[in-house]
Amino acid sequence: MLTVITGGSKCGKSSIAEDILSGVPGRKIYIAAMEPFGEEAHAAIERHRKMRFGKGFETIEKYTDIHELNIPEGCGVLLECACNLMANEMFSAGEKEPVQKILMGVEKLSGIASELIIVTNSVGEDGISYPPQTMEYIRNMGRLGCALSLRADRVIEAVYGIPVMLKGSL
Amino acid sequence: MDYARSIGITDFCDGASAGLDRNWNCSCINNYQLLVKRQLEAGLDPVREAERLIDECPEIVIISTEIGCGIVPMEKSERLWREAVGRVCCLLAEKSSRVIRLVCGIPTIIKESGD
Repeated sequence: MLTVITGGSKCGKSSIAEDILSGVPGRKIYIAAMEPFGEEAHAAIERHRKMRFGKGFETIEKYTDIHELNIPEGCGVLLECACNLMANEMFSAGEKEPVQKILMGVEKLSGIASELIIVTNSVGEDGISYPPQTMEYIRNMGRLGCALSLRADRVIEAVYGIPVMLKGSL
Repeated sequence: MDYARSIGITDFCDGASAGLDRNWNCSCINNYQLLVKRQLEAGLDPVREAERLIDECPEIVIISTEIGCGIVPMEKSERLWREAVGRVCCLLAEKSSRVIRLVCGIPTIIKESGD
């Protein structure tokens, strides 16, 4: 089962994702893709750690190359989030085909996990024109979102904590 | 706001100018996201202020614009604002009996509680 959760900033994506992961029997793996750059990233990481505390998730920090991960057969996996992963692949690793690379990783993980939940972000909806690199990032996030949704069993848009089903059912 | 009028709301105040003391005398506040910005500028905690609003005016109708769907802003104050609006709206949605999302003038009820 593949579930994609999208939405804007601080709209409850993680809570919905963690609730789904909590309901998966067996081992629960949390893949954290946010690199701890700067004070705000540290604060965000700390806040998410507190949210996850006591839920029995095993955290793996992996900022690029998720296809390299070895996860146990049949576990539940939450990848948070595709927008950080994409930024890391494009701007830290200089990856030329980041969409294909991430999709390859998703394909591998979803073949092993019983439940894969991917949090992404609606980064392309502010209508602002950005410098070329950022526009390319927005386009790649759009392409990734389309490909993930096609592959997904469920697509959920988080709207202020409310799960709005775009595909499948909860 | 047109939609709010269509469901019979007639008295509005605006988050761009409404008093930070919430002494509003109206049944609906429009542009709540702008009130959040002014609360931040005044050094107030928007989540605390929203909790107080829920206690003081449990029947109020709140209109807010979604501002969190986009690229993370370069400016720190803009980042803090959009995050605060997200957190405040999550709280307001949780406490609301009904949440309506308007896209291109089309209302979708995304939450309706039984009571």
